Amino acid sequence: MVDTTTTTASPGSRLLGLTTLVGLAGLILFAFVLTEPDVRLHPTTGEEFGQFDAVRLLYLHVPMAVLTYAAFLTCAVASAGYLLKRRPWWDVTAHASAEVGTVFCGLVLVTGSIWGRPVWNTWWEWGDVRLMTTLVLFLLFTGYLALRRTPAEPQRQARRAAIVALVAVLDIPLINRSVEWWENRTLHQQSTLAELKIEDLTLFTLMLGLVVFGLVFAWLMLHRFRVGWLEHAQAGHEVALAIAERHAEMETLDVDAAIGRTGGAR
Amino acid sequence: MADPVDEESGEAGPLDLTPQASRPQRRARNPFSIAVLLLVVAGVVFVLLRTLGDASLFFYEVDEAVSLRAELGSERFRVVGTPQPGLVETRLDGQAAVVFTLCVADVLADVAHLGDPAELFQPGVPVVLQGFWVSGEPPGIGSLTAAAGDGWYLRTDHMVVKHDNDYRGADAELESCGVHS
Repeated sequence: MVDTTTTTASPGSRLLGLTTLVGLAGLILFAFVLTEPDVRLHPTTGEEFGQFDAVRLLYLHVPMAVLTYAAFLTCAVASAGYLLKRRPWWDVTAHASAEVGTVFCGLVLVTGSIWGRPVWNTWWEWGDVRLMTTLVLFLLFTGYLALRRTPAEPQRQARRAAIVALVAVLDIPLINRSVEWWENRTLHQQSTLAELKIEDLTLFTLMLGLVVFGLVFAWLMLHRFRVGWLEHAQAGHEVALAIAERHAEMETLDVDAAIGRTGGAR
Repeated sequence: MADPVDEESGEAGPLDLTPQASRPQRRARNPFSIAVLLLVVAGVVFVLLRTLGDASLFFYEVDEAVSLRAELGSERFRVVGTPQPGLVETRLDGQAAVVFTLCVADVLADVAHLGDPAELFQPGVPVVLQGFWVSGEPPGIGSLTAAAGDGWYLRTDHMVVKHDNDYRGADAELESCGVHS
C-alpha cells in the first residue's frame, strides 16, 4: 500500500531549502543594494552612460540562463540513460529536470525582456537569433511536457519523450554559440567572462547568483523527482490493486461454481 | 460481476479462460494536451517564419552599407555602427528628428533618425538602426564636426542599442572609431 501521507520533504531537503532561502536573501542584498549601478563617464562628452540600475537584472538573468542549460542537459542525459537502461529512475529524472528547466527558461525570457526595454530600447526583437533560439527551446520543452501528458502506455510515453528531449537539447549549442556565429544577427553581447570584462563585486555577485540558483535548481529537482517517483509508485500500486481485484473476482467465481450458484442467485 | 451466460439456454455457463486475441483498444485522448502540442508546433513554425522573414534584415555594418549603397537603393535594412560625438535635434518632413554620424572601421555615414533616440543612446555605444538610404544632406548636418558629408544619409525610424560586454564600470572601454572615440 502506498502511504498517502508521505511528503517529499526530508531533513536534508529542509536544510537545503533553508540554505537556498538564505542564499536568495543574500543575492538580493548584493544584487539590489550592495553593488553599484553600471554608470560610466563618457571620455569625450563627460556625460554619464551605461546600463544604470538595469544591470542588476544581470545577476538573476544570467544564472537562470545557465541553470536552464543545466536542467535541459540533465534531461538529455537522463533521457539517454532511459533509452539505454529502460529504468524508470532515468525517466522520472528526465521529466523532473524538463519541468524545472522550462520554468527557468520562461523566467529567462521574461527577465531578458524586462531588461531589454531600458537597455536595448525594445521589449523583444524578432530578428535576434539568440532570442529566437531560446524561444524555440522553451516551446520545444513545453511540447515535451504536453507530450508527457498525452495518454499512452507508460514505456512508450517515456521512450517518445526521451527522443524528443534528445532532439530539443540540440538547440542549446545554437543558443550558446549564436553570439559568435551570427554576430550581426543579435543584440546580445559576446562573452564577458571569457574576456574577463567583469571584476570585483560585480563578478562576485554574478558568481553568487550562479551558486544560489544552483541551490534553487537542486531543491526544485529534489522535490519534483520525489513527486515523480511517488507518482510512479502510485501507478504501479494501482496496477497491482487492479490485478488483485481481478484475482479476487476470479476466486469468487470459482467458489460460486464449486457450490453451484448462478449469477442471478446472488 | 455477472457470470458468463450461455446464449442458447440463458443459463450461466462455465468461465472461459482460454487465451483470447486482444481487441484493438481505442486510446483515450486528452484534448488539452493535444491542443497544447498543436499550439507548440504552431508556435515553433511561427517563430521560424518570423526569423526567416527577418533574415533579410540582419545588420550591415556601416562600411558594408556604404559599399552596397547602389545595390540597396531604397530598400529597408538594418545597420549597426558607433555614433560619433555630436547630435543635432531638428525636424524632418514635419517630424522631430535627430541627426548624427555613425562609424565602423573609420567609415562614416550620416543619419537622420525620426523620433526620439533610445534612452541609452550615447556616442561610442553601438546602435542598430532600421531605415534606408536617401540622397542629399539632412538638416543641421553642418553643425556636426565628424559628419560624412558624402551627399547621402540614412533615414531611420527604429533604433535599438547593442550594448557591449564590458562590466568594469569606470575601467570599461568604449568602441573606438573615427576621429573621436
